Formats: sequence, structure tokens, C-alpha cells
Amino acid sequence: MAVLLAVAWPLGAQSPEGLLWEFGSTSRVQAVAITEDGRVTAVGSRDNTLRVFDAAGELMWQFEAENSILGVDISPDGQWVAVASEDRFVYLLDGEGKVLWQFKAARPMNNAAVASDGSLVAATSNDLSVYALDQAGNLLWQEELGIGVQAVDIYGSSEKARVVLGSDDGLVTIYSREGRQLLQAGLDYNVRSVSVSRNGARILAGSIDGSAILLNGANGNELWRFEAEDTINSVALAGDGSSALVGSKDGSAYLLGADGALRHQFRQDSEVLSVALAGDASRLMVGTVAGASRTYDLASALSGAERASAQRQRLFVSIALVFAALVAAAVWAARNTVAGQHVWQRSSAGPFGVVQAVWSARLSYLLILPTLALLLTFNYYPAFSGLYHAFTDWSPGARTDWVGLSNFRFLMEDRFFLSGFRNAAILVVVSVAKTMTVPLLVAEFIFNLRNRFSQYWFRTLFVVPIVLPAVVEILVWNNIYDPAIGLLNESLKLVGLEEWTRVWYGDASVALGSIIFIGVPWVNAFALLIFYGGLISISNEIIDASLVDGASTWRRFWSIDLPLLMGQIKLLLILNFINAVQTFELVYLTTGGGPGAATYTPALELYYLAMRMDRMGVASAIGMILFFIILAGTIVNMRFVKSSTEYEA
Amino acid sequence: MVQARGGEGTGQAATVVTGETLDGAGGRPDSVTRFAHMLSQLSSGQILMYAILIVLLFITFVPIIYLVALSLKDNGQIYGRFWSMPNPYRWENFALGSLAIWRPILNSILTSGSSTVATVVLASLSGYVFARHRFPGKEVIYTGILALLMIPPILTIIPAYVLILNMGLENTYWALILPWTSGGQVFALLLCRSFFATLPEEFFDAARIDGASELQSFAQIAVPLSAPILVTVAVVRLVTTYNQFMWPLVVISSPKRQVVAVALTQFTSEIGVTDLGPQMAGYILASIPLIVLFSFGMRHYVRGLTAGGLKA
Repeated sequence: MAVLLAVAWPLGAQSPEGLLWEFGSTSRVQAVAITEDGRVTAVGSRDNTLRVFDAAGELMWQFEAENSILGVDISPDGQWVAVASEDRFVYLLDGEGKVLWQFKAARPMNNAAVASDGSLVAATSNDLSVYALDQAGNLLWQEELGIGVQAVDIYGSSEKARVVLGSDDGLVTIYSREGRQLLQAGLDYNVRSVSVSRNGARILAGSIDGSAILLNGANGNELWRFEAEDTINSVALAGDGSSALVGSKDGSAYLLGADGALRHQFRQDSEVLSVALAGDASRLMVGTVAGASRTYDLASALSGAERASAQRQRLFVSIALVFAALVAAAVWAARNTVAGQHVWQRSSAGPFGVVQAVWSARLSYLLILPTLALLLTFNYYPAFSGLYHAFTDWSPGARTDWVGLSNFRFLMEDRFFLSGFRNAAILVVVSVAKTMTVPLLVAEFIFNLRNRFSQYWFRTLFVVPIVLPAVVEILVWNNIYDPAIGLLNESLKLVGLEEWTRVWYGDASVALGSIIFIGVPWVNAFALLIFYGGLISISNEIIDASLVDGASTWRRFWSIDLPLLMGQIKLLLILNFINAVQTFELVYLTTGGGPGAATYTPALELYYLAMRMDRMGVASAIGMILFFIILAGTIVNMRFVKSSTEYEA
Repeated sequence: MVQARGGEGTGQAATVVTGETLDGAGGRPDSVTRFAHMLSQLSSGQILMYAILIVLLFITFVPIIYLVALSLKDNGQIYGRFWSMPNPYRWENFALGSLAIWRPILNSILTSGSSTVATVVLASLSGYVFARHRFPGKEVIYTGILALLMIPPILTIIPAYVLILNMGLENTYWALILPWTSGGQVFALLLCRSFFATLPEEFFDAARIDGASELQSFAQIAVPLSAPILVTVAVVRLVTTYNQFMWPLVVISSPKRQVVAVALTQFTSEIGVTDLGPQMAGYILASIPLIVLFSFGMRHYVRGLTAGGLKA
């Protein structure tokens, strides 16, 4: 225990990676913007709404467009907000959310930028054009590029304002306020996003091949480039160009230093669509496909990362210590305990003999070393780590505080977990019932067919569905249950039972039933093969004897087949029990636990707690509870099911 | 030819009679009459069993038929004429689906394949050592390994994820390959050890007398003899890892590295507005590696799972 405590040294309370606040919704966040000092943030999402938050994450005001918001920019002082929407308008709002003017293009507006004094607004549209408008909403100029364009930013103010544009032909162009081309630089791939420093000296461009390229604003030369794992959706540059933020489809926002070196990676749970960086780089913001917009404090994020690397070092030292302690304990045991001395002496001539025995078997140890090393690292260590951390408030890299039983107390009051527990019990019973009935019945039927040819074909055909990946079966059933165009509702309509149609996953009274119904008629190929294999291994003499005695098929099933299948039943019983207790995909991919808490399972709640709410300690507690349930079930199965039958071979 | 004696107890006799009748019917080419004749030979119990099996078989196949039908339609055909057959057949759905799914399929094959190879190599080596070598602490270590069979993945998934984070391996193939290799070894070791233990000692004595080293007798005697069990281990591991969902979901966030089981479920959010057809085609394409695997490895799969389960 002391060693484990050393691994998880308490590090003081600190939210993970400097997260200040988070706004979560169900619709994707397509644009975020932040002011110079990072105190005001704007979030535009697919639900047509632009929300503006203050430094603490409180909603200040919101603005609703006719369609989804695709681009947002806010001036450094927060007095001007430009909004581009799929409703084909670009809007200019003031600091309180009042619409000053709006301007319409032929197709949706996909991005907008505003100068620091609001004197110039530039907007790009899906009609392949860029529009420049003045403070009053008058069109200054418009250029038809004839190619996709969605990257735009502005630097400078009043007459000296300049528009920086990136387009799908890989060009980055600087325009004057009058629409004159001042500079053009060519990149290799479509430019998705540009961001320019306050004085225009640095331009950061993100392209679809996953590279973010910093250009010198004076001559268009490349200064450095950074490669992400996937397409870059959004880039942001600090006012003085000293740091850069790159948001990529790979699900991370990368913070880069002035030299383009990676300083920190902000991992998100889904694709990053938009990023924003405060002018003084004190705060940053990330918007994701999953609908989260998160604001981070840079300084604490970086110190959190340092702590994490310190923790990593401590981890390796601790593992070394564990090994040393084990060796020391073995030596101590061999010297000081009776049993140990026994072993010591038995292994030939005293202490020296053991060393010799070990040494002469060094090849054996060497050969099993890779296996042992892997198992210790990836199986033993996580198992003990899970059991230990069930009693901690655990946020890796930030804190690991011993909290005793409070995780378990929390779970006893968590309605999602309690509902999940009830559902898991139902799923266990149903899953066992499914496997014990239909596959056994089908196996018996096939076994009793008189025609070998039919036996072969039925057996083969029933097993064919096993070639579908497990996930595909669930996804196809999702489609069958689809309320709009699913097979089930369409069939009900066809036979005139229109009133029976419903939103199968959305109705709390039938959601769990719908999930259980998946895979009807539940001819589990694996169980079928096991039962069938069991039946054909029953010796012919026994069956013949029963025929001679005049036993009916029914009688034979109960008195011969079933007892002789006890081994198979026991195997399927325990496998199903273990799997059902851990049910995850089946609910994660169908209802996601909803509606409400109706279809939660413990494993699903574990996943949500760990991956979405960063409560690894509580998640570990769930893992521990399930572990003990499975352990108990396995022991019962081993003891009870075996002793209840005398027929087992 | 009265077949009214319905009792199953007379099965043997009934089979013989049916056989004779079929021979006799061989002269008549009319297959319908022949089928009707065959039916008339069946007892009512047999007919009932056939009927139930056929109904169950049909219901089992409904989702698959539905999947294939949707994969050949476009959205217009699905929403407009739900019940009609695909017309025209949209084979291009498969081309579109494959564009989105080929990379995850390769990722899956790569990670499943390499972890399976590693598992087989390591487990056969250590299975051999545990079966044929004698060294201090052998039984203790072996029991320690077997104890891992009692540890369910749900207990280790979060700590293992944190471990992967701390090692800086998340979002890499290693995050899949290493834990899968490690986790698969327990069951593989069990099978390998019990198999190696059955090999007669004389083979190895003979080899030793002929001057073969320990590794040579492993590679040239034990491995060739145990090929069937190694294939079994490989097939079970390939299928298991290919179907893995929760672990890749947790440790892989980049669509570039994602395995097919998870990528299929993210189809919708990746493409935005989706056509159902290519999506369904993608589901079918994702099954191809399993179809290939099962077409020769079904026997091994079932044997492996049964043996692993029964011995555990």
C-alpha cells in the first residue's frame, strides 16, 4: 500500500489541464471567438445560436440566427461581434448583442472577421466569394474567387485595415481595405483557416493535409510548419504572434510556441472544429463536434503538464521500487520464515543451491520474461491500480487524494448507477435465458432431424451471422428501430398497426425492452455450436439404450441430453454472466443510456464518469464493484453448478 | 406405406424406410412429386421441427437481408419506395462506403494481426517453458498468471487507459497492440501449456541426444507438432481483437488510427449528412475480413473458445 501511495502522490487540488469552465450542448460548436484579455467569449453552434459568456462562464447574452452559425469573430475589446450563418447572412452585433446590420449573400456565409474598431467586416460565402463591408454595412468590395473559401481574418484598423484570405486553391492573399491585392503566398493544400497577428507580421494558415504553416506577413515566406494527425479545422494566433493554437480533426488542440514547437496538447473527446486564443495568450478556447466548448487557463494548463511528467517519473521509480521490494521480501521470507527456510533447504544444498538452481534455469526465466513483463505492466498493474484508486479522488496528472469510501457512497446515491445496476441484473437474467433456450432448442431440433443433408445446411446457415462484426449487428438493429424509416415501424404500418409504431429508443417504457429484443430470435451461433457439439459427442449406445427402453424424445431430452450437456451449460452460463455484467456497446450504441436513466448500465456509467466527467476514482469504484460481482458469480458457478449434477464427466 | 406412427422411438426404422423410398423414387424425374413424396414420409414431429427451424432461420436472416437491400439503394429509393427491391442497383454505394472504411479496416488488420502474431510467439514460448522446464518458482508464477483469468476487463480499463496516457502511447497503434498482446497471452498460455504437456518426452530426449539445443527442439519439434493449437489461438485472438470496441474507443481518438469497429459507429458524425446506402455497404465491407477468417477457421474458433472456457 505504501508503494501505491508513493505512485499516486497527492498533488493538490487543481482542475485538469487548467480547464476554467465548459459549456456543453448537443449540437456541434462550429465557431468560437475570444477577446484580447480572454474575459469575453463567443460560441456559435449548429443550433442557430450564438452565446456570449463572461470570464466565469456565465451567459451574458445570446443571439439567434435563422440557421446554424458557421463563423464568429469578436473584436479585442469585445465591442463588435461578426457572425456568419448558414441562413446566408453576415451580422454585425455590438457588445450587448444588438444587431447593427446584416448583409445577405447568394449562398450560406461560412466565416466572418471584424477589424478591432469595427470599421471593416470581411465575410466568406459558399457562393465562392469574399465580401468586405464597412461599419454601416455598406459593401466596399466583393471578389468572386470561383473556388471554395472559408478562411478569413483582419488586422489593423480604420483605413489601414487589411483582409487576409485563405482559399481552397492553397493561396493566402492579403487585401487592402479597398480590395487591392497586396501579397499572395501559395501553399500545397486547401487552406481551411487563417489567423493573423495584431500587426500583420505573422500569418498562421491551417490546411487540410494537417499542417499549420506560419508565414512572414511581409514577404509570404514560410517560417515553420507543424504537422497534426489530421485535417486542421481552425487556427488561432496570439496578438503578438508568440503562441499559436491549432485545432484538428484528430481530436486535439495543439498549443505551439513562437518557434512552432509543441508546448501542450489539449485532448478533446471529439473532432475539434474551432479554436480561439486570447490576444495576450492567457486563455484559450476549443469547440468540438460533440458540442462542448471549453475555456482553459494557459498558465495552469502548462504547469499541470509539468506535474504530469513529474508524476510519470515517479511512476517509473515506483515500479522499480516494487520490484526491489518483491525481491527483498522473497529474500527475507527465505531467511526468516519456517516455510521459506524449508524451500530454501529443499532446493538442494542451502542458500547457494537456490542461486545455483535459479542460475542454471536462467534460460527458462529469460524465455518467459517478455510474457511476464507484459502481464505485469498491462494486466497486474492496472488491476491493482484500479482497486487502489477506487478509494481516491483521481484525476491523472492533477490529483490523487485518498477519500476512503466516499466514491461508493456517491454511487449509492447516483441514480444513473442505481438504474444501471437494476438494468444489469435484468440483462444478466435475460441473456442467460436467451442462451439457454433458443440455441439449445435449435441444437436439439437439428440433431433430431433424420436427414444428414438438412442437418448440415441448417447448422451452417444458423452460424453464418457470426461473420458480422458484433458492432454491425447493433447498428443494423438501430436502423430497424429507426422511428422515421425503420423496418419495424414500416412493417407495423404495412399490416395496419400504425398506432403501435413509436420511437423505440426514446420511449422509457419500451427502451430497455427494445434493446433486449435486439438479435431476435437469439439463435446465438456460438452457443448453438457448443450445444450441438455436446449432443453429437453423446455416445450412440446411450441413445440406443434409451430407444430400446422406449423412452420418448421428451424423456430422453430431460434424462440424457440435459445432464450430459451440463458442462456446456455451465460454460455458457458463466460466459454470459460475465459478459452481461459488463454490457457496454449494446447501450452505448443504441440509446446511450437514455431516455433519462432508463437504459443505463454500470459499464456505461463507468465510461461516462471516466471519459466525460474526469471522475476516474468513481469509475474505478464501479470497476471494483463489478469485479467482485463477477468473482462471486464465478465461484458460485464453479461450486454450485458442479455439485448439483453427478453426470458431469 | 402408412407413416402414421408418429413416435420418435422408431427413428431407426423410419430412416431405413425413407431411404428405400427415395431409391425407388429415383426413377421419376419430377422433383416436385418427389419432394411431396418425401414430405409424406416425414412424421409429424419431423415436419414440425422443419417448420420451426425454417421460421427461426428466416427471422435470423431478416436483418442481414435488410442490410443487403439497403446497401444497394439510394436515399430516394429508401424513403420513397421502402418495400420495393433496389432498382436500379446502386453498386456505387460499395465504392463510396469503401472510401470511408478502407483505412479503419487496414488499421484493424494491422493491429489485430500484429498483436495476434506476438501473442502466439510469446505464449508458445512460455507455454513450452512451463510445460517442459523445471525451475524454482514455476508453479507459483503459473498460478499467478492463471489468476488473471479472474480479472474482468471492466476493472482494468480505466487504470490501463491512464497507464497508456502516462506512457504517452494514446492514439498510437501501440496502445492497442501491447495490451491486446498481453491480455491474449493468458488464455493462449493455458492452451499451449496443456498441449505441450501431452507431447511425448521421447521426442525431446532424442533431439537432445542428437545435439539439438533447447531452442532448436522448441522450434523444430514442439512448434510443428502444435501447429493446430497455435492456429486455434490465432483465430480466436483475431476474431476477439477485431470485434473489440470499448478499448479502442477509449484510447484512440484520431480517425486516422481508429479501428473498424469504432469507425463504423462514427460514420454518421464524420460525413455529416449521410446516405444510408454507402453506410450499409460499409457495414458489409467491414465483415469481409471475418468472412475470410471464418471460412477456414470456424472449427478452430469454436474449439479454442470451448477449450479455453472449459479449462478455465
